[in-house]
Order: sequence, then C-alpha cells, then structure tokens
Amino acid sequence: MRKVHKFTCIGCPSSCEIKLFENDGQKIEVVGAGCKIGKEYAIKEFTAPERILTSTVRVENGVLPVLPVKSEKPIPKKLIRESVQALAKVKVRAPIKQGSIVYENMLNTGVNVIASRNLEARDLER
Amino acid sequence: MNVDTLVIGGGPAGLAAALSANKNGVKNVLLIERGSELGGILPQCIHDGFGTVIFKERLTGPEYAERYIQEIKKTGINVKLETMVLEIDRNKRVIAVNPTDGLLDIQAKTLILAMGCRERTRQQILIPGDRPAGIFTAGVAQRYINIEGIMLGKKIVILGSGDVGLIMARRFILEGAEVEGVYEIMPVPGGLTRNLVQCLQDYEIPLHLSHTIVNIKGKNRVEGVAVAQVDSDMRPIGGTERFVPCDTVIVSVGLIPENELSEMVPLKLDSMTGGPIVDETMETSTAGIYAAGNVVHVHDLVDDVSTEGEIAGKAAARFGELKERENPIKVEAGENVRYVVPQIIRKKSFEQNVKLSFRVKEVQRNTSVKVFAGGENIYSMKERVVRPPEMLSVSLPSSVLEKTQVVKVVVEKDNEKSS
Amino acid sequence: MKDKKLGKKVKQFLEDKKYFQINSSVNDGIVYLDGHLDNWENIVELGHKIGQLKGVEEVVNDVLSNDSVKATTEPKIRLSKKFYDPILPKKADVVIVGGGVVGCFIARELSRYKLDVVLLEKESDVCGGATKANSAQIHTGVGESFGTLKRKLCVKSWPLFDKISDELDVPYDKTGLLIVITNDSLSKNIPGPFRHFLCKYLVPLPIWITAKMAKDKPKIVRKGKLLKMEPYLSEKALVGVLMPNYGIIDPFRLTFSLAENAIQNGVKIFIDTEVTNIKVENKKISGVVTTRGTIDTDFIVNAAGVYADRIAEMAGTREFTIHPRKGGTVLFDKKTDKYATHQLNEFKLPRNEHTKGGGVLKTADGNINFGPSAFEVPDKEDTSISKEDLDNILEKYATVFSYFPKKSVITYFSGLRACTYKEDFIIKPSKNVKGLIHAAGIQSPGLTCSPTIATMILEILEKEGLPMEEKEAFNPISKRAVVFRELTLEGKKNVVAEDKLYGNVVCRCEHVTEGEIVKAIHSSIPALTVDAVKRRTRAGMGRCQSGFCGHLVAKILARELGVPMEEITKNGGDSRLFIGKTKEFLAED
Repeated sequence: MRKVHKFTCIGCPSSCEIKLFENDGQKIEVVGAGCKIGKEYAIKEFTAPERILTSTVRVENGVLPVLPVKSEKPIPKKLIRESVQALAKVKVRAPIKQGSIVYENMLNTGVNVIASRNLEARDLER
Repeated sequence: MNVDTLVIGGGPAGLAAALSANKNGVKNVLLIERGSELGGILPQCIHDGFGTVIFKERLTGPEYAERYIQEIKKTGINVKLETMVLEIDRNKRVIAVNPTDGLLDIQAKTLILAMGCRERTRQQILIPGDRPAGIFTAGVAQRYINIEGIMLGKKIVILGSGDVGLIMARRFILEGAEVEGVYEIMPVPGGLTRNLVQCLQDYEIPLHLSHTIVNIKGKNRVEGVAVAQVDSDMRPIGGTERFVPCDTVIVSVGLIPENELSEMVPLKLDSMTGGPIVDETMETSTAGIYAAGNVVHVHDLVDDVSTEGEIAGKAAARFGELKERENPIKVEAGENVRYVVPQIIRKKSFEQNVKLSFRVKEVQRNTSVKVFAGGENIYSMKERVVRPPEMLSVSLPSSVLEKTQVVKVVVEKDNEKSS
Repeated sequence: MKDKKLGKKVKQFLEDKKYFQINSSVNDGIVYLDGHLDNWENIVELGHKIGQLKGVEEVVNDVLSNDSVKATTEPKIRLSKKFYDPILPKKADVVIVGGGVVGCFIARELSRYKLDVVLLEKESDVCGGATKANSAQIHTGVGESFGTLKRKLCVKSWPLFDKISDELDVPYDKTGLLIVITNDSLSKNIPGPFRHFLCKYLVPLPIWITAKMAKDKPKIVRKGKLLKMEPYLSEKALVGVLMPNYGIIDPFRLTFSLAENAIQNGVKIFIDTEVTNIKVENKKISGVVTTRGTIDTDFIVNAAGVYADRIAEMAGTREFTIHPRKGGTVLFDKKTDKYATHQLNEFKLPRNEHTKGGGVLKTADGNINFGPSAFEVPDKEDTSISKEDLDNILEKYATVFSYFPKKSVITYFSGLRACTYKEDFIIKPSKNVKGLIHAAGIQSPGLTCSPTIATMILEILEKEGLPMEEKEAFNPISKRAVVFRELTLEGKKNVVAEDKLYGNVVCRCEHVTEGEIVKAIHSSIPALTVDAVKRRTRAGMGRCQSGFCGHLVAKILARELGVPMEEITKNGGDSRLFIGKTKEFLAED
C-alpha cells in the first residue's frame, strides 16, 4: 500500500518539509528536500531512525545525587523509552571518571552508555 | 588582594576568557564563580549538540565544560568557588565574599565580566491567577532534575517553545511525566528545528502556536491553567479559553543578560541586547573592563560564547598596548536587524577580521545579508531563510573598514529579478 | 434605639428599596438578614445600606446569591510533624486567635503582665493573612471618615511608631505622602477654566485641613517646587499637598519582632494550630478546641481576620459578618526607585467611599509599588489576581507620572481585607459571651492602628475581669537578626569571620546569606517553609523571584529541618514544591 511519511529536515535552518513516499517499504521516493543532506535524512528517519540517548543515573556517595550520561553512539529511536527505564535501575558509586561505562551494551545495541562528566566522592569530613 | 585579570563568572565565557588571558601572558589571573563548581549552566545541559564548531564533535554540556575545566587545572589559574561579587566600581575594585576566605577586597588591573543571564519570570509577563507551588522557569526545572535529582511534577504544561522549553519537554517525558503541551505565543516556534523534531515530534507532544497561558489556578499547588489563542497583536482572543488540568507549569519565555554588576560600574548598556556596549575586543565603555558571553547578548551556540571569552582574555592581556582609531566606527542595525555586536569598532588593529554577530527581527525567506560601510556595500550573502532564534554572523577583514565611520548590517528580501 | 423600632425601620427600608426576597430581624441592635439576591455585589450593597441606617450597631448578612461562596476549608495540620509537633498547654489566662499584626501586637502588650498568654495561628507562619499583603503604610488618619473608630485610633497611633520601630528594630521610613492635584481631580462636568482654578487653589485646602486635624504638618506645594521634589511627575500636576508624617513600615519585620518580643517575654505562640471549636459554659468562655488539643481559658481575643465571624459563631454568638475586600498590588524592580521619593496619590473626586485609593507607594526596602486596588469578592480563600485588576492597577497609578517603566514589574499579589458592613473596627467584648473579646473587622488602617487596638483590647480585658499585674522583667526591646546587605564592609567582614555561613550569599538579588536563612529557620518564631524564609530574610523577593536561590533555600531548609528536600513546601499543606526523586516515577509503566 502506498503511504506518505512527513519529515522536517534538521540539517540547516531551511528546515525543509520533506515527503517520503513508499509502497510496503519499497520504491522509496523523496520529495521536498532542498539538498542531498535532506534526502538522506528523510530516508534514514524512515528506515532506521536513531537518537543519541542522554539522561541521568542515580549516584551513591557523590557530591551530586545524579550523574549525566550519554550513549556513545546513536541507538534506535524506538529503544529510547525502554533504555531510560533500564537506566532508572542503575546506581553508580562515586568517584566516577568521565567516559567510564555506566551501562554496557544497552538493550543489545552494542552501544554503551557512558558518564558525561567526572563526579567526585562526597567529602566525608564535611 | 591584587590581581592582573579578574574574571567574574566560571561558565563557558569566563573559562575561555581566563584561559586566553593566561595563554596570552597575564601572570595573575583569578576566576571567581558563585556556584560550587565551574561550568556555569553547562553541567545541567546534559543533552548533546555543544562544540560542533570548536571541537567538531557533538558534546554534552558537561563534556564541553570538562574540556575547559581540565585546561584550567593544567594552567594553575587561581579559581575561587562559592564566591559572590557584592560590589564593583569603575576603578576595577571588586568586593566579593565566600565562606572560606570571608570578605575579599580585590583590586584588578583588568576585569572580564562573564555573569551570563537569568530567566524571564511568570510575573514579568504578567500571567494572572493564583501563586501556587509548582511554577518553575525552564532553567530552574533543568537544574532540579539534572543536578539535584528532584522530580517536579507529573503533568506538565510548558509555556514557550524556545530551545530550553523544548529540551525540558523531552526531559520530563524521559523522567516519567506527562507533558500536556507546549504553548507558544508567537505564530512560529522559537527553537531549533532539531529540537522541535527530537523533543516534541518524537514524543508526540502537541505544540500550540499563537497560544498563551491566561490564568494559573491552584490554591497551594498548581491545579491547572487556562490557555487561549492569541491574535496578531498577541492578545488573547475571547472565547478560545480552555482549562488544562496540570500540576506543573514550566515558563520558558526568554533570557535576560544579568547586568547588575555592569550597572554598578556603571557601564553603558545597549537597550536592545540588555548587555554592555562592547567593541571588537569585547572591551566595554570603561577601559580595562571587558565582557563576554550571554552577559553581552544571549547566544545560541556555546562555541560562540567561548570565542568571545577568548577574545576578551586576549584583549585583557594586551590592555594598554592596543592603539585606538582616531574615529571609532559605529555599528548600526539596519533593516530587519534587531541588534549587532560589537556596537563599536574602536581599535586600530586587533585581529585580521572583525566578526559582527546579529539577530534578525522577523523570519524571512530568500534574503540577503548585506553590510554597508559609509553607504558602500562591502558584503553580501544570500540566505535561504533567516530566523530570530538563530544568530548570524559576518566576518569582515579589518582593512575594509579603514575609511568608514558607520557600518550598517542589513537583511533585505531579494528582488524577484536579482535572485 | 429599641430593637422593635429598629426592626420596623429596617423592614420599611427593605420594602421601600424593593428588597422583596430579603428577611430581616433585629436583636440587641444587630440586624440579621437572610434571603436571596442576584449576585454578590448586591449582597454587599445591601449590607452596606443597612449598616448605614441610624441605630444599626452591626449587620449579620446571611443573604445568598449564585456566586456567594460558603467557606469550605477543613481544619488541617499544614506542617510535617517531623519538624513541628508542639504540645499545647492545658490552660492559659488569655488565648489570642490570629497571628497577624493585630494579634501579635496584642500578644506583645499582654506579655507586659504576669499572665499565661497563648497565641494561635492556623497558617504555617504568622502574618499569613492581610498582614502580608497590605500597603505597609503608616497612615495619619487623614483619609478616614470622621466619626469612625478607624480615624480616632489612627490619629492616636501614627505618632507611636518612632518608639515602636526603635524598640522592635523595625525599618520605618517617613517618606511622606504627596497628594497630587491635576485638572482631572474634579469632574469633567465642571467647565475647563473654572475647574482648573478650583483644582489649583481650592481643592488643596480641605486636604490640608484634614491633614492638620490628623496632627500632621501638611504643606501646600506649588507646581515648580512639586516638579523639583518629584522630577518624574506628569506635567499636568498643578499643585500638591505634602503630608510629611506619612510613613512606610516593613509589616513582616514588625510582626516577627512583635512575635519574637512576645515570646521573649513569656508568650507561647503556636503556628499551624487551627481553632475548631470554642467551649462555652453558662454564656462564658471556658476553653478553645484546636487541631492540637484543648486549652482551658476564660478569655479569648478574636483577631482572626476574615474568619473573625466564624470564630464568634463557634462561641455561639453571631454579631457581625466579615465580607472580604480584595486588594491587588504590583511591585517593581528596585531600578525604578528614582521615579518617586514620596508616596504619591493622584487626587480624584468623587472618592470611592470604601477605599483611600492606594497610590504609588514604596516598600520599606525601597521598591516602588502600585496599589492596592479595592473590590468586593465572595470568597475568603481567593487571593488570585485577575488580568482586569493587573491592567487597572498598571493604568491607574501610572498616570501621575510623565513616564513610568511599567515593564519593570517583578511581582504582584493580592490580599483580602476583613471588612464588616459598618466598615469600621469592632474592638469590644462580645455581646453574648463573656470573655470573648473581638479585635475584628480590621481593614485599613489596621496596621497603623495595631498599637492602639492592642491598648484598647488590654483595657477591655481588664474591665472584663482579667487580673493585670505588671512584670518587672518585661523587656520591650527586640533586636533584629543580622541583615547582611545592610552592614558596612567592616561589618560584613566581622560577621563572616564569626560565622562563615554569612560568607555564603544564597540570594543573589538581595544578597541574603546562608547564615541569615539558618537563623530564620531556628528563630523563636521559626521559618519552616520557603515563604516563611522569604518573609524573614527577603530571599526570593528580588528581580529573579527565587530563580537563582530557590533550590538553595529548599536545600538549606531540608538540611536544617532534617527532612528530604522533597518534603519542603512553599507555605505548608499541599504546597509541596517537588514530588520526589527522579527515577522514582520511571519504574511505573
């Protein structure tokens, strides 16, 4: 069945409104892109949209109670919500080094979630 | 105490300025910051997109800050945290205070102001109604969630579609809340398309353009808001009111450069930017006092903020050495240009190029950015679309500005014939 | 006038004015009304008209309309027991109901005597009602109607504030009030040139005279000097009358100082303690029942603001009805300070009989504010501010200036005045229950009159049989805690050296330090919510309206009170700022 999908390109301020026509996933036709970047963007968004995941995880014994984390690479968009649920169960112990792995291989994507910053341990003398 | 360069504010502008001053030969640099860590607003901006210009990477806010913080650690620049500036005068005497040192009486040779900005409040836009708990500006909400680990509410209504509001819409969803909608008073959204797609569309959060909140209801905690459509004058249209039950209102209606200290000096301010008038070296109306970053004008890219900080630091290092032009060049904002920074070009030679940063007043398609020097068109660049939320810049070789007294930046629609 | 005669008079009035749906009865000079009218405005109008009839002592107005509101708030505990769980004494000589400026002044005055005094306040902090939302003016009485208790007490009260502000260390600023007369001061029906002459030469005279009668030292100020005194005044200002003794006080500071001084001298003050019933035996007060237990007592002072009628009703006597009159205020950024040195009021006839009209005022900290407005509302719990009120306030008060930066609003708020239908104070013993003393119907100039109201109440108590033996050890002096921003450089240095918490500036806009916040939390009248901290320290009152300091104040409160941050409230009860920690809400689907 022939279907149309709409995408707003995020490549540049032109924000072209792109229409992607497909027939059961085949015969993909892209209309409205102002340049090659837009066309590629629309196709990617349709076939395998990905997003960088950024969130926080709870911390034990840190100067702050939460640690910002990010996925090292983009992961499939449809896995974002579930990933966030998975991260909600994580608790890391300070001190934490930026770049260290907080969650390995998120939902079998092969992508690790890493610490976005250094986080010191809470000074026990305070 | 005496210092050579005192930098007020440890966010991206201050960090870059301190490093640059140090790199360019200033012996005694002191950086003071009121928060308990460096980075300014960056530590709470846990999303990515920072550093695409300077580092050619998409970093998160904390990652971007960490780059500069590590550099600071290497240089041994003196840093004081939890330190609040109380007073500042035109002689560059600064009174500050912190719990460890107590009262600090600092005499600086040069000052770099990098205090950033604060958020416009619900009260400033006169939203009627009750004053319950549960109303937060977007930046404050971001701080609570991303730094304090505190969750603010379950059902959220967001006023304002600027980037901070959009980012927070996604943040709330990913922390388990429901975002009923984003309401934007203008007929066009305020943030980047990227955020419209990845924060609203991805999560099916409705965006209501030409809408605003006309009432907040709640005895102790927010119980709901009344939203209404607005006309072209941004006035609510009678009969379009709708009650939206919610427990949290996020107000994301703009940033205001924080210039209380600038006004104490006093520095000359630009009423359009809300920040001090600066020249191409980021020097203000008082010799030896520089300003950089959001305190001068609100930026979109943190990379630009760092660049400004770098210029300020370099200029502070050269304080007293740079010669001034006989006749300073006035920089004007022309058609469809809201403001231009720097507002004045004053030095004989600082860098090879002078970068003019500006914002347009209205969205326009198929336009050209033009720069006129004393009436002569010295620059022209076509732009497919220009939008107020996206700052633009033009880099001009200093040589081209030799004989002029007035430089004007203009954005005009292309004629059918010429395009 | 005998009840029978008065009753007939009232019924005749109702008939003449065609109030066919209204029933009336009279008992001991008090007129009781019930029935139905179209709307709240009409109910208030009727109450006023009856109240103005000669011989009517008070009005109890039970008339209903479709928009009248029955007070539905259930008594409750507002603060966590984890940090506030006091035990009430079983007995007291006097129980004061209501912790506004009037209740607290009475408490402080009673603390001069060898008495067990208890003050009960239902909100999570004192000054939770009209005391926190008024104009902060110390009126001279010039604007009050002749023959009222309001006027009588006001003229006697204002000169007392030099001493009071001294003893209690309360900021008090004699800014003076400038009544500004313009061509618009009189009706446009009067022809131009004649109106101009009247406004310029005649209108100032009665104003000057009434000010003199209020014991002020008024001066008529001609245009030239007027514009020198206030350079931002509109060109249309013709002449002014300066009332130099008009002042501004800090109403929060005054109330806290009174409360602290009272506690210092032996009074027990309980916040978050609501009166739910009053025990009466043989038409005499025998005790008060609260959400925290019962206190036996022979004397109750009713200073309960908009709920003073409800307190009386609990004691089984209905002697007046309180109808709330809302007043909105718009506050501006300190940067606009220069626009007015004095309080300004643009004189306009005809005058609204129930309000002095507000004006361009100052706070004790220097913020210019416009207001307060005045209009009747049916709901005693509604302190919302409408778009209409905001627009009206911004428009009305700016006209006295040639230009005013109206965009510099930093906040606005509304309060409710507790008004009776005779529009005057009720400072007298109850007609029907011995030991119940009313300090009710407190509207403007209530704040100014608080010292003389307190004196009157003490006289009444003594007359009613309360033994008043003076304490030798009474200490009238209450010193403010450190206010960091007001110290000199040297003073700041010393205070930080003593306690490093003063070196941590938490509120950036008002330079409020952690030291001050911690002191406020642990003071004798403790600040247990964000709003209570704000009122004592000013943290959050600046231009960013707690944008910077909000989370810091919440954190300090949580730490000092020993509770997680999520349990901190704005002002008690359901006003929780947060719902919990992040991630707690993700485990659910």
